[in-house]
Amino acid sequence: MVPLAASFLDRLRAIAGADHVLWRPGDLEPYARDATPLHRAVPDAVVAPATTGEVAAILKLATETGTPVTPRGAGSNLAAATLAEHGGIVLSLTRMNRIKEVSGDELLAVVEPGVSTAALAAAAARAGLLYPPDPGSRTVSTVGGNVATCAGGLRGLKYGVTRNYVLGLEAVLPTGEVLRTGGRLWKDVAGYDITRLLTGSEGTLAVITEVTVGLLPMPPTSRTGIAYFDSLADAGTAVTAIIGSGILPATLEFLDQRCIEAVEQYAQLGLDREAGALLLYGDDGAEDAVRDTMTRMAAACTAAGARGIELAQDVTTSEDLLAARRCCLPALSRLAPITMLEDVTVPRPRIAEMVATIEDIAARHGVVCATFGHAGDGNLHPTIVFDPGDEAARAGAERAFDEIFHAALKLDGTITGEHGVGAAKRPWLEHRLGADQMALLRRLKAAFDPAGILNPGKLGS
Amino acid sequence: MTINVFDPQSLDKCISCGFCLPACPTYALTQDERSSPRGRITLMRALQDGRLAEDDPTLREQSSFCLGCRACEPVCPAGVPYGELLEQWRDHQWQGRRVPLKALVLRIGLRLRAALALGGRLRRAAPTTGAAAPDAPHLMLGCAERVLFPNVSRSARKLVDGVDVPAGQGCCGALHAHNGDSATGRRLALRLGDAMPGQIVTTSGGCAAHLVAHLGRDRVSELSEFVSDSWIRFRRLDVRVALQDSCHLRNGLGTARAPRDLLRQVADYVELPSAGACCGAAGTYSILRPKDAARVLAPKLDEIEAAGLDYLVVVNPGCQRQLIAGLRARRSAVRVIHLAELLAMAAHPES
Repeated sequence: MVPLAASFLDRLRAIAGADHVLWRPGDLEPYARDATPLHRAVPDAVVAPATTGEVAAILKLATETGTPVTPRGAGSNLAAATLAEHGGIVLSLTRMNRIKEVSGDELLAVVEPGVSTAALAAAAARAGLLYPPDPGSRTVSTVGGNVATCAGGLRGLKYGVTRNYVLGLEAVLPTGEVLRTGGRLWKDVAGYDITRLLTGSEGTLAVITEVTVGLLPMPPTSRTGIAYFDSLADAGTAVTAIIGSGILPATLEFLDQRCIEAVEQYAQLGLDREAGALLLYGDDGAEDAVRDTMTRMAAACTAAGARGIELAQDVTTSEDLLAARRCCLPALSRLAPITMLEDVTVPRPRIAEMVATIEDIAARHGVVCATFGHAGDGNLHPTIVFDPGDEAARAGAERAFDEIFHAALKLDGTITGEHGVGAAKRPWLEHRLGADQMALLRRLKAAFDPAGILNPGKLGS
Repeated sequence: MTINVFDPQSLDKCISCGFCLPACPTYALTQDERSSPRGRITLMRALQDGRLAEDDPTLREQSSFCLGCRACEPVCPAGVPYGELLEQWRDHQWQGRRVPLKALVLRIGLRLRAALALGGRLRRAAPTTGAAAPDAPHLMLGCAERVLFPNVSRSARKLVDGVDVPAGQGCCGALHAHNGDSATGRRLALRLGDAMPGQIVTTSGGCAAHLVAHLGRDRVSELSEFVSDSWIRFRRLDVRVALQDSCHLRNGLGTARAPRDLLRQVADYVELPSAGACCGAAGTYSILRPKDAARVLAPKLDEIEAAGLDYLVVVNPGCQRQLIAGLRARRSAVRVIHLAELLAMAAHPES
């Protein structure tokens, strides 16, 4: 990569204002990282536009000069999707952070891409509405980033993920044209579904500058319970029984034995440390319906051999129980500083088998690995921790994850359920998609981005 | 080339997750990764690893732009001791001629015990009672507080039964530690600990957190913690009040409930949405960077005025000075009062 010419920086300044163009080494350093461990790439410049017009002008300039552009929201992604691995400019969209509209009549909201997921959810809640996607990073992550990675969350089974709520987008093509895809309609089949194509495209096809999301009425009540099992296989039986009985719970999360141990060590919540697995289950909706599903889920857990069940009596204790799941990341990250959090996903009935395989792989490579995740949708978070200087552990972790990805694929699963491919998992993408689909991805990419400037090195480039 | 500016174990703890971004007041102002806690830790790492020159302008600017409010600590999943790292950063960044002149003047001025004692006497802060009594709780007068707000220590003295006010107390050193001289900060804290052996009661959240770091948790109580454990009976005042937390009391020591519980006992208490967020005083920040301090404060002033308050209650002298100045500039009718002063009104109707 040739460093950017002074005249190029001048043109960027003319577009976005001198204060919003960064180029000195110290100014670029913070943008060399996102939330992905062990990945770092220093861009040649950072530009933070405030309007769609500025974004279009920047992209046009970049296409004209062949300069790579990497869009970035809050930089909370875990797959190095927002790192400028080919240099060029990081396009920071955090200044575009206005909530333009929340409509209770139409059940939708219109926001700029830099609005945080939590801010959108809070604005919806003030209008008595629910924005269901709730990725673990929702307090940090931006809606634009959520759309670009099709972020998931804890409510996936019942409510789906980000793509299920994106009604329309305004997006700028790398060549500078501003598109409006979809809109305010739940039904609209005019043309290819470009909205869905851009959702999860990791900033490789266009830059999202406005998002219209669908909202739901806020459920009046929610409750949570915890069930302990001797083994993950027993917990898996309970999950199958719950869903087989016609219940679609809002919450169905599991922790393996190592997670329970780490969480208990960190937060002393009074969890059963002897248990082999913990299942957190819950539902939301009308009071009577929730009481009924909670009773039936508890019965299914007991029938599957649960060794103990705790039911929250009110919202406060619900929060206490949910803390067991929320504490996973802090607890595991305190075991050792490098915390590699992955997100392979397998069909729901194969969770126990996959976790057993992960344990076996981790043992063979001598790495510390704990697994928690979304039992409802088969999305697992095997987490390997090690010390920064420990090269042997680092190599072991890399080998272990390679085997874990292949094992997930063998069980008809995928290499990533909600974090995205980014630069970190790009080597495994073709194993998941096959050569023909990879070729199609490249043709799609070329159709959107003839100069190949948008987030090069990711997905279809 | 690695240089040892930071304790490597503390620096290693950051997992770069970014959970600190929404908690950071300077990130809220800029939406710029450079002025977020994670961005600053990335800068610290670049300094430690020799990737950035020691005189890099971004290092200089960001080490100074940070308020040091430590709001990033309670939200950090990995337990990064950001406040400690910031002290180490400023120790290095503000060495020799790189120290801002105002910081240097403060660092030297606050070390002078005789000047503080004279200031306290002239301003009629709570009078000292000679050498420290062995079993009594000791009231700390502070350096800025006894001169700027002498009524605070007088009020506190009425609230804490049998408290003594040892003579010869100096500054606790918090302001030195926050301004690039943590060695003096530590020395002053230990000297104050020697002058007041046993239990120390302070009316300043910032001093409390600094003293705890050097003397231990069991020797130091902030006033609300101490009064919460006592048997004082209060009458209710017919006033509507809100609290401005002290950042280091809340984020450093985790004390947020005690002052609220007391306020609910004595007044009509309302929680401001930004009660736990920095007011921009940030120790000496409002002196060193008055414009940025005002930008941090502005949205809070809107909130305070909209809440229909009689009093805004503070638990730290820096916040008191900052909020008085901010509200006065707006000709607001809301008065700023220290918790000790409000409690003294409720405990002693005649005052």
